[in-house]
Amino acid sequence: MTEAVLLNISIAILLLPALGFITLILFGKRIPGPQWVGTSLIFLALCISIYVGFGKLAFYAGQNLIMEGRWIQILNVPVLGQVNFDLGIKLDNLTVIMLFVVNLISFLVHLFSMEYMRGDIRFSRYYAYLGIFTFSMLGIVLTHNILMMYIFWELVGISSYLLIGFWFEKKSASDASKKAFLVNRVGDTGMFIGIMILFTNYHTFTFDTIFAQIAAGNLPFHSSAWLTACGIMIFLGAVGKSAQFPLHVWLPDAMEGPTPVSALIHAATMVAAGVYLVARIFVMLTADAMLTIAVIGMITSFIAATIALTQNDIKKVLAYSTVSQLGYMIMALGVGAYSYAFFHLVTHAFFKACLFLGSGSVIHAMHHEQDLRKMGGLRKKMPITYYAFLISTLAISGVPFTSGFLSKDGILAGTLAFGSLTGHWLIPIVAFLVAMMTAFYMFRLVILAFHGEPRDLHKYEHAHESPFVMAMPLVLLSVLSVFFWYGLNPFNPSTGWFLDKWIKTPTTIVPQNMRFDFMKTEAPVAGSLENAKAGEVKTTNAPIAVGAPKVTKQNESETAIVHSEHYMHAMHQAHYPAMALSLLLGGIGILFSFLLYQWKKIDPDKLAESLKPLYKLSLNKWYFDEIYAATFIGGTLAFSKFLAWFDNKVVDGIVNGAATLTRMVSKLGGLFDHVVVDGFVNFTAYLSGFIGIFFRKFQTGKVQTYVVFVVFSVIILLFIFRPFF
Amino acid sequence: MEFHSILNSLTYLAPEITVSAALILVVLFDLILGKNKKALPVIALAGMVAASFFVFQQMTFNGFAFSKVSQPWINVGMITVDSFGAFFKSIVILATVLVIFFSFSSEEIKKSFDRLGEYYTLVLGMVLGMFLMISASDLLLVYLSLELVSLSSYVLAGFTKLRERSSEAALKYIIYGAVSSGLMLFGISILFGMTGSTNLYVINSLLQAPNINHLALAFAGILIFAGIGYKISAAPFHFWTPDVYEGAPITITAFLSVASKAAGFALLIRFVKITFISGVAPSGHWQMIPAFPWKEFLIVISILTMTLGNFSALWQTNLKRLLAYSSIAHAGYILMGIAVLSNQGLIAVLIYFGIYAFMNLGAFFIVMLIANKIGSEELEDYKGLGYTMPFLGVTFGMFLVSLIGLPPSAGFIGKLYLFIALVDAKMIVVAVIALLNTVVSLYYYIKVLREMFLAKPASPSTAFKLSPLSLILIIVMLAPVVIFGVYFNPIVEFAKGCVTILGL
Repeated sequence: MTEAVLLNISIAILLLPALGFITLILFGKRIPGPQWVGTSLIFLALCISIYVGFGKLAFYAGQNLIMEGRWIQILNVPVLGQVNFDLGIKLDNLTVIMLFVVNLISFLVHLFSMEYMRGDIRFSRYYAYLGIFTFSMLGIVLTHNILMMYIFWELVGISSYLLIGFWFEKKSASDASKKAFLVNRVGDTGMFIGIMILFTNYHTFTFDTIFAQIAAGNLPFHSSAWLTACGIMIFLGAVGKSAQFPLHVWLPDAMEGPTPVSALIHAATMVAAGVYLVARIFVMLTADAMLTIAVIGMITSFIAATIALTQNDIKKVLAYSTVSQLGYMIMALGVGAYSYAFFHLVTHAFFKACLFLGSGSVIHAMHHEQDLRKMGGLRKKMPITYYAFLISTLAISGVPFTSGFLSKDGILAGTLAFGSLTGHWLIPIVAFLVAMMTAFYMFRLVILAFHGEPRDLHKYEHAHESPFVMAMPLVLLSVLSVFFWYGLNPFNPSTGWFLDKWIKTPTTIVPQNMRFDFMKTEAPVAGSLENAKAGEVKTTNAPIAVGAPKVTKQNESETAIVHSEHYMHAMHQAHYPAMALSLLLGGIGILFSFLLYQWKKIDPDKLAESLKPLYKLSLNKWYFDEIYAATFIGGTLAFSKFLAWFDNKVVDGIVNGAATLTRMVSKLGGLFDHVVVDGFVNFTAYLSGFIGIFFRKFQTGKVQTYVVFVVFSVIILLFIFRPFF
Repeated sequence: MEFHSILNSLTYLAPEITVSAALILVVLFDLILGKNKKALPVIALAGMVAASFFVFQQMTFNGFAFSKVSQPWINVGMITVDSFGAFFKSIVILATVLVIFFSFSSEEIKKSFDRLGEYYTLVLGMVLGMFLMISASDLLLVYLSLELVSLSSYVLAGFTKLRERSSEAALKYIIYGAVSSGLMLFGISILFGMTGSTNLYVINSLLQAPNINHLALAFAGILIFAGIGYKISAAPFHFWTPDVYEGAPITITAFLSVASKAAGFALLIRFVKITFISGVAPSGHWQMIPAFPWKEFLIVISILTMTLGNFSALWQTNLKRLLAYSSIAHAGYILMGIAVLSNQGLIAVLIYFGIYAFMNLGAFFIVMLIANKIGSEELEDYKGLGYTMPFLGVTFGMFLVSLIGLPPSAGFIGKLYLFIALVDAKMIVVAVIALLNTVVSLYYYIKVLREMFLAKPASPSTAFKLSPLSLILIIVMLAPVVIFGVYFNPIVEFAKGCVTILGL
């Protein structure tokens, strides 16, 4: 298989779900089995992506394959000169793994939904939406430039909106979809600003060209601060999409969508797109930007984990756990543990999809009951679901021999190393606390739902194991949550093929003085020389033939050198302490949940009573929704958010004051609008109409007048354009 | 002229010969077949397909037909074959093929089925005239071909002769056309008197001399423009357009608005570029002979044309008339691209025309289908059509959006390239005026959409079944409008390859 073949069939992967979408949205109602159209197309895409993944990883593991073609070429744009918009796809190891993950989970969700969504009045539309979502997500994964990424990013937002509000008859669902859309907009605006900073400076959207320019020392607006700002701005897009603090509020509400959708979009793939984005721009992040990212990730993971402790809705618990795990990944990127962040993205995608589908299976069996307090004892009724769920729970809690243990341990080691190298000890401390909480709330979930005695006998009586198409995805996903897919050593993932061969931390291209100390390339490290060479190769920027796609190869080994010896050393040192600590804390978490809910040694209600303020804080999700509601009315976000904590009166005062002022201003504005603007508009309209009537006067319908007009026009034109006199 | 020179020329004339052959066959079969006229459009179509084959051959080769080797001048002839001409010929062929298909489903044409022979003969006659117009590089041929097109179109405009409006339109058209061609002939004779030649290339080399009479030249230029301006309906020579467009059968209106305009524009560009150019700068800007201010002249005409077209369209209540004014406005936009007097402007014009052909024909076709059904072209009868005929409503909306030039339709790309050419030539003021014009045009196009989608249907809906042919035709025209809106490199590259005018 040549690189051209791989690239071309990757485009086929991209287009297959789009084909499904178009077919289903246009003819969905007339096709007898719409689910089969979507599912078979995704299955085909999955097969191709396995083929591509195999071909890439087996034969081109050290290279990036790029195919690009010119979309628009505009010559002579004022100020900018020639402007090119290139479209293209880039296949690197990150991409092919993501292709597989997205297609696999999408396929399983398609399969699962056949049963779960059966009988829905908009069944074919549901599959159409799944198709457009998969298409857009694959687009994000494949693209080699940030413009296309932004386009697909927005498409993903749209499809997420459509799917959250799929049951739009429910007010909560349509509200949630609007909320998700608007909150994401906030992040996307930041991302757009970041993209524009890049485009203004480099006149291109292609990642590699931009990075080559930065590597060559050509900073945006010749200022390192702008580079930091640019990184943080683009990161804002990830904050929105990956539900990071302070824009995390939409994700739990998004659980109003159908549960398989939650598994696909709001757990495994779309929300991971933010992490993927940060991984893509990782090389241009300065130390300040990375620290910001790490702190945001830390705050997110902590807040979400505390909230998940007390939620009673099975999907809400999983939603907050997703937010928390996404925070983990973002934090890992921030501390430079790039490969572990991506590793966790992949492992999390599988076990979280499994958890969500498992919860879907439970909800389906319990006739759409989502309250944990009404479940219990389901283990006997639904053994397959139970064991799949349990394996995934073990994985997310970081129990050895699971994939989650490997990736999580890597992240924890990364934070620990980061702490020891930079002195930011808060990050590892919070990370370990979160690990403990995760183990606790996940086991609480399992125990409440599956163990013990049934609390709602009526519903329990009717519960049943799910049919094959629902159980099969669960089994497959739980199998994928076991360690041996990623490496043979269950305790050290860095020797496994996933991290050793496939995913390497790329070299940062940020100027030396703006990196963390541990990321500086000291002289002996082979990278600095290679780095310069790689930059040189890329800056040649060979002209691309318009229309004809160009296929290029990059040597990945040239561009991939890891951090300084320092960091590697610290990482190595941190590995075993981190593992021991995480095992200990995870064990404590699990133990606590058993004490509280299984053996009932401690009464959870009494504990809640004694920790009432904290309990309430967690149960009410840190009052984020309330805060945002209050602050948006007030109009100023950051300012009154702070005040709302302490003094409602101050806020109210501001609100009232603002309202009065707004009313006054709007009255004035209304007056202005009414008299001046309306007047102007009406005048323009009137004038246009008058001109039209004026012109119409000439159209008398009498041919003799026309002839006169023509002759006179010639004379007048001659008079106007007379040469001399 | 030697015999073998004529023989050689024939290879350059392959498309014209094919069309003539098809024309003769249509006449013959009309006589042979008697009542059953089904074969006639097929013959016409076959002729067009064969012609298109030869036209595509012409995309790559250049040359003169009927050249006079004995002349001391460069080797030039009456007919110039080049890729520029091939582009416009392919537009004409496209329009003709589509219009023949339109005629299948047109109720108006069906009613006078016994005269179908005449109809197709005249259409093919027009095509022949337009081909010659596009290639003509000799004033005599310019005039003759223009007359050939005009005479055929006079008859076609009045084809449904029992309708009063149709006959009235044809009569107006004849009188108006006669005056215009008279003016043009006057201009041609002045030019001939000044230079002693009718060949544009020869005239060009003679005009380079410093001692020409500028007044006479300006007069000749304006008079000849009056003749061409009447064909492309540029203000102030447009007066016939709304009346004729409204009176003629819709198929012919669509044909006039695209094919005959294409031929007119090709003629204008060739005339201006060959006759008045002194060289092309490396940047692609044309250096003109300073004898006549073509740039200013074309700018004034184009602004006048688009403004008049758009503002008059505001008040129209008849769809055909509205589209007539809209086509005047579009002629203004295209003229603006010519006024840039640069290769980039020319590319923009070609792109615009390629797109305009699809969107305008599409809009006319849907108006025709709706007229077939409801028997009216009045705007007030369009109330609620978006609900009674959703497919037609939506596709019509897409064509209109493209005519406005909103992204992501192809119309936007056409305008974008025009504006880029303008800005590149530092004609910002013109660009701004054109933009404001586009804003005005928004009003009357959207007015149609408003009637269709926001007004309540006047009468309860009756089932409307679209024939498969119509469906295919709509899709064929809509596909480029949509696709070129997002992926327009092919058409841009195609246009770039077709800017070569022979000898320059």
